[in-house]
Amino acid sequence: MKLGSFLLKRLLLSIFVIFGLSIVIFIIARVVPGDPARMALGPRAPEEVVQRLRQEMYLDKPLPEQYFYWIRGVLSGDFGRSLVTKRAVSEDIKEFLPATMELAIFAGILMAIFAVLLGTLAARYKDTWVDSLIRTLSYFGVAIPAFVAAIIFMLLFGYYWPILPVLGRLSPGISYPIRITGLLTLDSLIQGNFVAFWDALKHLILPSVALSLGALFQEARITRSSMVDNMRKDFLSAERGYGIPERVIMFKYLLKPSLIPTVSMMGLDFASLFANAFLVETIFNWPGISRYGISAMMHKDLSVISAVIIVFGAIFVVVNIIVDIIVAFLDPRVRLSTSRGI
Amino acid sequence: MKTSKFVRFLRNGLFLVLVVSLVLILSCAGYTQQEVKVIRHTDSWPCYLDPAVGSDYASSIALCNLYDSLVFPNPDGSVKPWLAKSWEISGDGLTYTFELVPGAKFHNGDELTADDVVFSLERIMTIGEGYGYLFTTSVEGAKALEKYKVQFTLKKTFGPFLGALVRLYILDKNQVMANLQKEGPYGEFGDYGKGWLVTHDAGSGPYKVKEMKTEEYLLMEKFNDYWAGWENKDAPQYVKEIGTTEAITVRTLISRGELEITDQWQTSENLAAIDQIPNTEVSSLFEGSVLNIMLNTKKPPTDCIQFRKALAYCIDYQQIINKIFPGSRPSGSIASSTPGYNPNLKPYTLDLAKAEGELKQSPYYGKLDQYPFELYWVSEVPDEEKIALMVQANAAKLGIKVNIVKIPWLSMIDNLAKPETTPNGAIIFVSPHYAEAGSMLESRYHSRSCGTWEQGEWLQDPEIDAMIEDAIITIDQKERFQKYYAIQEKIAELSPTLWILEQAVKQAHRSDYVVFPAVEDVKQGKLCNPVMGYNFYYRDFKVTSEKAQPPYTPFKP
Repeated sequence: MKLGSFLLKRLLLSIFVIFGLSIVIFIIARVVPGDPARMALGPRAPEEVVQRLRQEMYLDKPLPEQYFYWIRGVLSGDFGRSLVTKRAVSEDIKEFLPATMELAIFAGILMAIFAVLLGTLAARYKDTWVDSLIRTLSYFGVAIPAFVAAIIFMLLFGYYWPILPVLGRLSPGISYPIRITGLLTLDSLIQGNFVAFWDALKHLILPSVALSLGALFQEARITRSSMVDNMRKDFLSAERGYGIPERVIMFKYLLKPSLIPTVSMMGLDFASLFANAFLVETIFNWPGISRYGISAMMHKDLSVISAVIIVFGAIFVVVNIIVDIIVAFLDPRVRLSTSRGI
Repeated sequence: MKTSKFVRFLRNGLFLVLVVSLVLILSCAGYTQQEVKVIRHTDSWPCYLDPAVGSDYASSIALCNLYDSLVFPNPDGSVKPWLAKSWEISGDGLTYTFELVPGAKFHNGDELTADDVVFSLERIMTIGEGYGYLFTTSVEGAKALEKYKVQFTLKKTFGPFLGALVRLYILDKNQVMANLQKEGPYGEFGDYGKGWLVTHDAGSGPYKVKEMKTEEYLLMEKFNDYWAGWENKDAPQYVKEIGTTEAITVRTLISRGELEITDQWQTSENLAAIDQIPNTEVSSLFEGSVLNIMLNTKKPPTDCIQFRKALAYCIDYQQIINKIFPGSRPSGSIASSTPGYNPNLKPYTLDLAKAEGELKQSPYYGKLDQYPFELYWVSEVPDEEKIALMVQANAAKLGIKVNIVKIPWLSMIDNLAKPETTPNGAIIFVSPHYAEAGSMLESRYHSRSCGTWEQGEWLQDPEIDAMIEDAIITIDQKERFQKYYAIQEKIAELSPTLWILEQAVKQAHRSDYVVFPAVEDVKQGKLCNPVMGYNFYYRDFKVTSEKAQPPYTPFKP
């Protein structure tokens, strides 16, 4: 019940955060130079056509009035129309968000598994060659941006050793599964279409690995240092004294509390994957929302810019709430403080 | 001791992960062979399928393959009968009557009639986007006289009207009307079918839309019942327009045999690397695009004609071509590939003595340090910075100080909106809107285009305006071209622009199994089609997949 009220409080606060974000991004998008209507229609479009588009977009109204019309539309699920794709922005988001979601989920899974695995390995074999190897790899992993990793992977597995697909979400000739969630792997699995599932999975490998690497190694380092810190704690000596097997100590008593900083960081990193994916999406021609958002900025597609930022903001908020819940599960002190209403 | 623990750890989980990863990777190989004639071509996105919306490069390629127009463009700028088998022009040049070919079918089997032509014209004029401007200013309207006879009435004579008609793509009225969305800005026509045409076509062209994945690709399929027939037995059965121009992606795709033709936006370094791949050929086409440094004639020191001429003589055009845009060629105000170009005009060349002579006549001579030349380049086109630096180096020899400013495209557009915010020099590519010099002259130098990104000169010369207007209403092509020549001479005298080069549209293609007609024409010394998109009219391409050398990845439709 106390956790429930804590979550309710977080949700209410989140509404204010997103509302504030909507105002900021609405203003920033409109002070960037360039007339979006003229840009969309080209220099030779008749002035009356440009004026009609300005009116449709309420660009002829004062800024507060424009915001009113926009937020009224957003609250009824209408984000306006895209000047680039010429479709309803909500329709575009429905199409592009699942693509990035699928990419980010796979990258997140890789991140979670390998960050904990490598971090644990490095801590367990601290100051041995295993630790040194993982730490060295981590330096490279953290230093190499996702798009550089994407280029390297494309060169390795697309160019020199062409064993993985490098373009889009499905190969030509493979029919798309009927849309349920928009996540191709999940949809094809639900429908028992294993050919599409396998093909979609292969398409995910390179972009998701490239996207996950930086965060993965950063979290591996955090896991390691957190575990190494905790190794020196008295409670572990006591547990060893009780004769508890080393494996149980490692996974039950050492890993669990050591994961708290990793999980907090993982939440932020996972949400950041959505925003950071745009170059990876560009390189692999992945039809995701991140690339869509950047393209909108290049074309001053106001409705899309605002909508995409709001979606990203909402993702950050939701992920942070989930992280809070996980941390509360892992750390009894947090549970206690929330139950006391602190 | 540590090693044994490590081995136990591997047993507990890591080994499993490694095995799964290995199985995943090993099973990734293997594509089944299938002989399908296909052209896979990368290009910039967006790609619009609606003839009343699209006008960029990718859209122009799609439109000319999905739709038909009344006339078809020839490489010399003239047109040949197409959906219209013949036409008559009234004595006053205001009425055009077209006789349509009977039996032409749309992709859904509907017959193409005069009603569809009238509908397509009214639709593009009402929406006013894309190529609509070609008709809104000159056409009064059209009416169907008979099932296969349609008459256009013009507001005023428009010499290049037949040339402009290549951009009037005919849609199936019934199909569009059946797919209207009621809500929209066009009254009883709702959205005029714009929503549906984002992912579908309503045309009669040699190819039809099989699949459109926005921001990803457009897959077109050969229309077997095409009214003009298929004499070319090796024409591609499928065409895939892939929405990427990313260098590493394009290079990887062509090296894997998953791409037949690259886009035109690759850097010279990437094209050179692609050229090393066996059976790949890099080629140049000229479609009328000119790289300009637009000089603001309303701002000192570029308001002085002698100063502008001094700049024109102090640029090493050949070095820019050799170092930055290999394959391109010198240009004047009109590219030599554009019909109506004046062949008697010689482009400026580097001549520092002449530059100094001109500069000495300028009132700014002797006080050049007080009047720096502000040169803007577009940050999205890195090659422009190299040009700016080369101009700066050469201008320094004359004592002209060049301040180079990097600016995003959106800001450049904003700056060019007013004479006081327009820089002394702006580096910008411009292409003609239709394949005639008149298009370029009007969009570049008529006062109407001041304030748009197509004219940073603010020339505002009433004499030139009158000359352009007079040329454009001239119906006789020879006479019209003579008038274009005179305008070009007049503009060259005023030297409002530094015409750096005529851009070579460069792309790579697989030469072992693809015959690219425009490239073959250029090799034989013939002209390629100056109308944007028509060099990618896939009905004329030949694909012999059985001749493909490895690496080749067959296409599975």
